[in-house]
Amino acid sequence: MALVEIRQLTRQFRKGDEVIMPLQEVNLEIQRGDFVSLMGASGSGKSTLLNAIAGIDRPTSGAIVVSGTDITKLSRGALADWRAANIGYIFQMHNLIPVLTAYENIELPLLLLSMSAAERHKRVEIALDAVNLRDRANHYPRQLSGGQEQRVGIARAIVANPTIIVGDEPTGDLDADTTEQILDLVQRLNSELGMTLLLVTHDPRVAALAPRQLRLEKGKLIEKGREVTVVHAELQHRSA
Amino acid sequence: MFRFAPYVLKGLWRHRSRTLLTVSGSAVALFVFCVVGAVQQGLARLTQDQQALRTLIVFQENRFCPASSKLPEDYVRTVSKLPGVKDVVPIKVFTNNCRASLDVVVFNGIPPEKLRSARNLTLLSGNWSDFDTRTDAAIVGQAVAQRRRLKVGQRFTIGEVSVSVVGVFRSHVPAEENYLYTHLDFLQRARGKSSVGTVTQLEVHLNDDADPDRLASEIDAQFKRGPVATSTRSKGVFQRDTLADLAELIGFAHWLGYACVGLVLALVATTTVMAVQDRIKEHAVLQTLGLRPGRIFRIVLAESLLQSLAGGLLGIGMGLALLAWGRFAIGAEGVTIAFRPSLDLAITGAIVSAVVGVLAGIVPGWQAARTEIVVALRQA
Repeated sequence: MALVEIRQLTRQFRKGDEVIMPLQEVNLEIQRGDFVSLMGASGSGKSTLLNAIAGIDRPTSGAIVVSGTDITKLSRGALADWRAANIGYIFQMHNLIPVLTAYENIELPLLLLSMSAAERHKRVEIALDAVNLRDRANHYPRQLSGGQEQRVGIARAIVANPTIIVGDEPTGDLDADTTEQILDLVQRLNSELGMTLLLVTHDPRVAALAPRQLRLEKGKLIEKGREVTVVHAELQHRSA
Repeated sequence: MFRFAPYVLKGLWRHRSRTLLTVSGSAVALFVFCVVGAVQQGLARLTQDQQALRTLIVFQENRFCPASSKLPEDYVRTVSKLPGVKDVVPIKVFTNNCRASLDVVVFNGIPPEKLRSARNLTLLSGNWSDFDTRTDAAIVGQAVAQRRRLKVGQRFTIGEVSVSVVGVFRSHVPAEENYLYTHLDFLQRARGKSSVGTVTQLEVHLNDDADPDRLASEIDAQFKRGPVATSTRSKGVFQRDTLADLAELIGFAHWLGYACVGLVLALVATTTVMAVQDRIKEHAVLQTLGLRPGRIFRIVLAESLLQSLAGGLLGIGMGLALLAWGRFAIGAEGVTIAFRPSLDLAITGAIVSAVVGVLAGIVPGWQAARTEIVVALRQA
């Protein structure tokens, strides 16, 4: 069974009289341990798909089943709890909380889980080590470089050991050298820690790092030049 | 909730100028609320306490200022014989100012043997034997002693009346601490007074089973045809009537208290709305990390509550400290209202601050909790 199963996912927006449909009956399966990159032109719907998988946006129709849970059916509160336990989100603009230190930013997701202070401390230390920022633990975001901020963002995304890590243009705001460091780090998350990754990018070099590369075009998901059309056994059964 | 306390506190500290201004505004408003409350409590104490209800004041009919009420002292004997009367205390009142004043000095001349039975006074300095033996002796309430910097052994003169201070007392009735007690005959004979045989008022203490209204009517009927007609009321009503003009002002002042509460509400709500609008994206990030909308709501509510409560407690503290230190009183026609700090006032002020803090946070908290994550994340 796939870790993430997306079935007939459609998302449409209304912009005045115009109806925009970035996702049209999209299907996708992501296996545990996959490293998937998602490319597409601006406005193609790649971030929309990522946000739907991350549970911060609701599709117009279709199903998103992660580890057996159809998250489109969860209430707002339940979806928040689900995100806390299952999603690690890496933002393009880091989005660290400016009043909290690097340590406190990384600790934030753990505050939502049932965990002792000692266990939290241990996990934050491990995450800091993973991004090689132990010596910056007590620095505030304004005292960090862009690359360091993004490493804190990555540490925050992995600290709760989520089911899947999603990144929306995680290197989009970084210079070339720093991008290399971040990409190396992201690759290690997958290759060494076995984490499932889905990265949205418009940079072909970044996309090329992922063993599995997807592309969104005109609301359809393309893989190796063909539209992804996964037909779930249950759906087959229903249609029969 | 407490796990996010550092986030809440650091958030307030981040905009410390704004927080400080809000806390200051809240403090000033609660300070005023406290002082207005103390004035109202002072008036309520005068008019509603048990002693005020079980004691009658006999005054000359159609007279208002103590200087104009002149009752024959031998009325004491007549009133004492009425059934239901426990004791009658003749009192000569002399005040430096019949009009409303914040520094009114009121002398009460009472027979020394009656003073200790009629009043529950505790001497803080000096002694009773000096008061009993010296005709010009005066014991001074600690509030007036503090205001006028009076000490035992000093002479104190107001107008034609000059007394020797032989004691400073405290009383469980705060208004009493604004009076000076002298011998009745001393005040009657004081230079320029020449009112031997007359008193300003009679204070009639009743038995537990006596009906105050019936006795008041009986007393007035007794002297209706006498040399001087009387007007008898319970002490509470007498004090309320005497302070009627002030009471109206004080009644109006309670609107000032409500206005202060409204001010804090508007101030804290505005600050909280601003804080929320500044952090729409931040709240979206927190929701992305897994914070439930309810928790975001509670975080905003906590910020609002903390600001309101911090300012409120500061203002209440300042207000109560000022009231305790200043021992303020306002008086008119020989009756004073003492403004005293009280636990009631502190608790009421704290509750008002807390409620206002919560109310002020509801709308901004709701806005923050309902933030559309994706839309908010797109904000620069």
